[in-house]
Amino acid sequence: MLFAQILVNGVLLGGLYGLMALGMALVWGVLNIVNLAHGALIMLGGYAVYFLFTGAGIDPFAALPIAMAGMFCVGYLLQRFLLNLIVRSALLNTLLITFGLDVVLTYLAQLAFSADFRTINPSYAGANFTLGGITVPLARLAAFAVALLLAGLVWLLLNRTRLGRAIRATAQNLVAARLYGVDPRQLYAITFGIGAALAGAAGGLYGVVAQITPYIGTSLTAKSFVIAIIGGLDNPLSVVLGGLVIGIAESAGSLYLGPTFTDVISFGLLVLILVARPARSLRTA
Amino acid sequence: MLRWAAIAAVALLLALLPLYGDAVTIQYGINALLVAVLAQAWNILGGFTGYASFGNSTFYGLGTYGTAIAMAQFGLPFWTGLLLGAALAMLCALLVGIPILRLRGPYFAIATLGLSAALSALVANLDIAGRNIGLILPLTRNDTLFYEASLALLAAATLAVAWLSASRFGMGLIAIREDEDAAAVMGVNTTLYKVVALVLSALFTAVAGGIHAYWITFIDPASAFDSTLNVRMVIMTVFGGPGTVLGPVVGAFILSAIYEALASSISTAAALFFGIVIVLAVIFMPRGLVDLGWGFRRMGPRYLLETVRQYRL
Amino acid sequence: MSDALAPLLEARHLTRRFQGLVAVNDVSFSLGEGEILGLIGPNGAGKTTLISLISGTLVPDEGELLFAGRRVERLAPFRRAHLGIGRTFQVMKPFPGLSVLENVTVGALFGTGGGERNRARARERARAMLDFTGLAQRVDQRAEALGGPDRKRLELAKALAMQPKLLLLDEVMAGLNPVEVDEVVGLIKRIRDEGVTILVIEHVIKAIRSLSDRVFVLHHGQKIAEGDPAAVFRDPRVVEAYLGKRRA
Repeated sequence: MLFAQILVNGVLLGGLYGLMALGMALVWGVLNIVNLAHGALIMLGGYAVYFLFTGAGIDPFAALPIAMAGMFCVGYLLQRFLLNLIVRSALLNTLLITFGLDVVLTYLAQLAFSADFRTINPSYAGANFTLGGITVPLARLAAFAVALLLAGLVWLLLNRTRLGRAIRATAQNLVAARLYGVDPRQLYAITFGIGAALAGAAGGLYGVVAQITPYIGTSLTAKSFVIAIIGGLDNPLSVVLGGLVIGIAESAGSLYLGPTFTDVISFGLLVLILVARPARSLRTA
Repeated sequence: MLRWAAIAAVALLLALLPLYGDAVTIQYGINALLVAVLAQAWNILGGFTGYASFGNSTFYGLGTYGTAIAMAQFGLPFWTGLLLGAALAMLCALLVGIPILRLRGPYFAIATLGLSAALSALVANLDIAGRNIGLILPLTRNDTLFYEASLALLAAATLAVAWLSASRFGMGLIAIREDEDAAAVMGVNTTLYKVVALVLSALFTAVAGGIHAYWITFIDPASAFDSTLNVRMVIMTVFGGPGTVLGPVVGAFILSAIYEALASSISTAAALFFGIVIVLAVIFMPRGLVDLGWGFRRMGPRYLLETVRQYRL
Repeated sequence: MSDALAPLLEARHLTRRFQGLVAVNDVSFSLGEGEILGLIGPNGAGKTTLISLISGTLVPDEGELLFAGRRVERLAPFRRAHLGIGRTFQVMKPFPGLSVLENVTVGALFGTGGGERNRARARERARAMLDFTGLAQRVDQRAEALGGPDRKRLELAKALAMQPKLLLLDEVMAGLNPVEVDEVVGLIKRIRDEGVTILVIEHVIKAIRSLSDRVFVLHHGQKIAEGDPAAVFRDPRVVEAYLGKRRA
C-alpha cells in the first residue's frame, strides 16, 4: 500500500517535472542552446500566476493561459533581441549568457517581489480524495492533467502543423527554415517563446503544489536538464516519461534511503547515466 | 621586452603589498589571488582543450577537505595536509578523467557539475569530514604568509600556462579544442592529453582550496563545494580570455574588484550588475578581454560590430 | 609494379556495418611501397569509410589490416599516425581558429614517429610544406578565412607535415578548376617521388587516370574491379556502376 502511495505521489510530481523539462528540451533540440535561465523563467511564470490569483482573483488554472501568453512574449523578445546575437558563437558562450540571464532575472525578481515564500492557495488547495486507500491530492492531480495536456499539444504542434514542421526541420538544419518561407530569426524567437510559455505554465503549477521564491530557478534548471537528457530532445512525450522516472525515483529515494543520501544517489546516477549512455549523439553534441 | 618588464613590475608591486597595504587590502588580495588561481587552473582544461568543466569545485573541495582532515583530525602540519589534498584531487581527476572526458559539450559540463554535487553530498555524510557541521582548523593569524603563498601559487599556475602556450603539449591541447578528430588522426594522443590537462587543473585548484581552508580555519560541505565558485571561475576566464596566459588573471582581478566594490554597498545590486556584465561580455567580447584588446588596436570600435555580426543569426 | 615490392598496406576481408547497412563489405587489397592506388566508385560506395578504417577514425567489425607487416586494425588513430599513416578529410577539418602556419605545425609536431619535438624546427618544416603546396602567402591567415581551394591545399599540407609513409587523400581535387586540378596532380606525383605511398579517392577521372598505377573500384561497399587504369575503365561492370551514370 505504501509503495502504491509512493508510486502515485511520484507519478503526479513527475508529470509536472516533465512539463518543466519540456521547454528546455525544445529549445535545446531546435536552437542548440542549453538554457540555464530556464528555471528562472519557471520562477517568473510562478509569480505571474501568483499575482493573477492574489491580485485579480483569477483561479490559478484559469490564469495559466494568461501567464503563458505573457511568458511567450518575454521569451520571444529575449531570443529576438538578445540571444539571436550569439547563437552562432561557441557553446560555452551560450551557456554563459543564459547563466547571466538567470542571475539577472533572479535578482530582478528579488527586487520586485522580495525574497518571501509565496504559495498559490486556492480554496481547493488542501482537498483530496481517497481511492482504495491511496490519497490523491486534487490540486496535484489537476496539475498532472494539465502537464499531460500541454505535452500532448506540443506533440500536435510539432507533428501536425506547418509551423511545427518548420521548427523540426530547423532543428536539423538552420537553412531549412527558409524552405518553409520562415525567417530563421523569427522561427528561433517563436521556438524560444514556446519554451518560455511552457516554463511559465510549469511555474504556475509549481506554485500550486510548492513554494515560490526568487531562488528556485537554479535547482529547477538542473532538474529540467537531467530530465531532458533522460527523455531525449526529440519527442515531447518521452520528455514527460523522463519526468515520471525522476518523480518516482525522488519520492521512493527519500523514503527508502533517507533524505541525506538522495543527493549522492541522484547526482551519482546522473554521472553514471551520462558516462554509460552509448548513444553517439551524446558525445558529439 | 617592455611587456615582460611591465609584468615583472606588477608582480613585484603585488609581492610587496603586505609592506604598504592595510589588513583589509591584504585580505581582499588573498581572495582575489586565490580566485585568479582557480580561473587559471580552469583555463588549463577549459581554455586550451575547450572542455568546459562546471565542476572544478570537486577538486577545490578535495583540496579543502584533504588539508582540513589532515590538520583537524590527525594533527598533521599544513604542508602535509596541502600535499594530501592535492594528491586526493589529482587521483580523483585521474580516475574520473577517462570516462568523463569522453563526453562532449554540455554533457561534459553537466557530468562535472553532477560529480561535485555528489561528492559534496558524500562528504556531508562522512564522520571523518565532520558531516554537515564541518571542521575547524588550528588558528594561525598570519595574513602575510597566506598572501604570499597565494601569490606564489598564482605565479606557478601562470608560469605553467605560459609553458603550455609555448610547448608541444599545449599545441596538442589546442588542436583538441579546435577539432578533436582531426587532432587524433594527426597523431595527438587525445585521451592522455586531456587527462593530463585535467590532472594539472585539479592540482592548482586543490592547492588553492587548501590554502583557503587554513586561512579561514573553518570549512563545511556548502563552502568547500560551493557551486557558484564553479561558475565564477568560468566567467572570469571567459571574461579575460580563455586559452591565453594572462587573460584569466586579468579577468579575475577586474571582476573581483567590481564585485567587491559593489558587495560593500548592496548585495542584490552587486549580483544584478554581475549578471548584466556577463550578458554584455558574451555579446561584445565572446573571445575575451585579451582578444578585445587586440581587436581594438587593429580596427578600433568597429571590432564590437564585427564581433556581433560574426555570431548573430 | 606493385607485385614486385613488399606491400606497405594490406587489407584482408575488411567489413564495417552501420546499423544494418554494410558500408564496407569484405574488401581486400594491398598497396605496394611507392605506389599510387586510385580508389573510385559512385557516391555512397564506402570509399570514405574505407579510408577511415585505415586511418583509425573507425574500427572494422571484421577483417585485418596490416601496415608494414604489423596488425593495426585495432590501434587508436594517433598510434597509426605515429606509424606513418596520414590522411586528409573530404569534409575538411582545419583547426578554424588557428593560423594556417599553426595548422600545419600541428602535423609536424605530432606526425610519424611522434613528430618533431622542437617547436621552432616543426614550424620550419610547416613553412616548407606551405611553400610546397603554394600557401606561402597565407601563413598568417586564420584557417577559417581561407577559400575552398586553399582549404584543400591546407588539408594536404597538414597531412604532408606529418611526413607520412602512407598518405590517404580523400577527394582533394573536388571543386577545383581544371588548372588547379593539374597543379594538384603535379603535387601528388612529386610527393610520390619523395617515396610516399598514396591512396587517392577522386571523382575527377582524368586525374585518376594520369595519377594511378592501379585503380580499384568500390560499389555498394564491395570491390568490383581492380587493375590497370585503362583496363578498369573499360570493364563493363565499372562502366555500368559508375561511369555509365555519369555519362548519361
